[in-house]
Amino acid sequence: MSRESGIGSAAEARPGAYMNPYLAGIGIGLVLLAAFVIAGRGVGASGAFASVVSFVVNLVAPGHAADNPFYQKYLSRASNPFKDWLFVEVIGVMIGGFLSGYFARRVAKTIERGPNITDQKRLVLAFVGGVLVSFGAQFARGCTSGQSITGGALLNLGSWAFTMSVFAGAYGTAYFVRREWK
Amino acid sequence: MTAPLMSSGALSPDYSLLFALLIGIGFGFFLERAGFGSARKLVAQFYLTDLSVFKVMFTALVTAMVGVIFLNRIGFLDVGELPLIGTYLLPMVVGGLILGSGFVIGGY
Repeated sequence: MSRESGIGSAAEARPGAYMNPYLAGIGIGLVLLAAFVIAGRGVGASGAFASVVSFVVNLVAPGHAADNPFYQKYLSRASNPFKDWLFVEVIGVMIGGFLSGYFARRVAKTIERGPNITDQKRLVLAFVGGVLVSFGAQFARGCTSGQSITGGALLNLGSWAFTMSVFAGAYGTAYFVRREWK
Repeated sequence: MTAPLMSSGALSPDYSLLFALLIGIGFGFFLERAGFGSARKLVAQFYLTDLSVFKVMFTALVTAMVGVIFLNRIGFLDVGELPLIGTYLLPMVVGGLILGSGFVIGGY
């Protein structure tokens, strides 16, 4: 935990420093290990979104959902998203992230961007990026949580190929969107 | 082997969702602590100005990996019960490239 965080030192409004990345890594590693030991499964994120999408599709077009093995896979796991393990886990991620940000006085309403781009363009790019991320995650059977972290820790070959590809894709694209961030 | 606790019966699966919530809270807490609530800090990895993503990710992997090997060696954790995703190299590489480009475009 950062020295500057905590409720006791809330006198000044300056946001607390981030945690040492190696310590934060050990923290995430231990959380993942706890997930393995307790539930026999790792952490995830993209599956929760697929679960909600399947639920909504089933709500508005049950016939279409019934014929589609992708939706059926998620619908067969839980009768509604709130009973789905991954969905509840992602709700927890939001709560945990908020608590950490709150105690470090980092909670703020802002659109993060570089100085050379408008808010509007940044939001359009955020949407485009979000579409690519969710599409890529479904294509690869997982995201940076389910594949890179969970599968990576179990030395899953496909997960490592995926992780290397994520870094390659990001480094290869970074130059073209540099004005969004710098 | 007593773990995973839920598949060995040491812990009732009724509490499954409670632990899902707690594990999620822990995961989200450390992600934000590391600075991953900030899109600019995340993408800084790809401009080589801040390598936190790399440091956090691989420290987490090594920590969990060592824990799994150790707990398996002492006969506590059955690795056969852990989730292994099949290897589908082409979709995983293509999906990874797409996700990676979306990562730096969207700042996720």
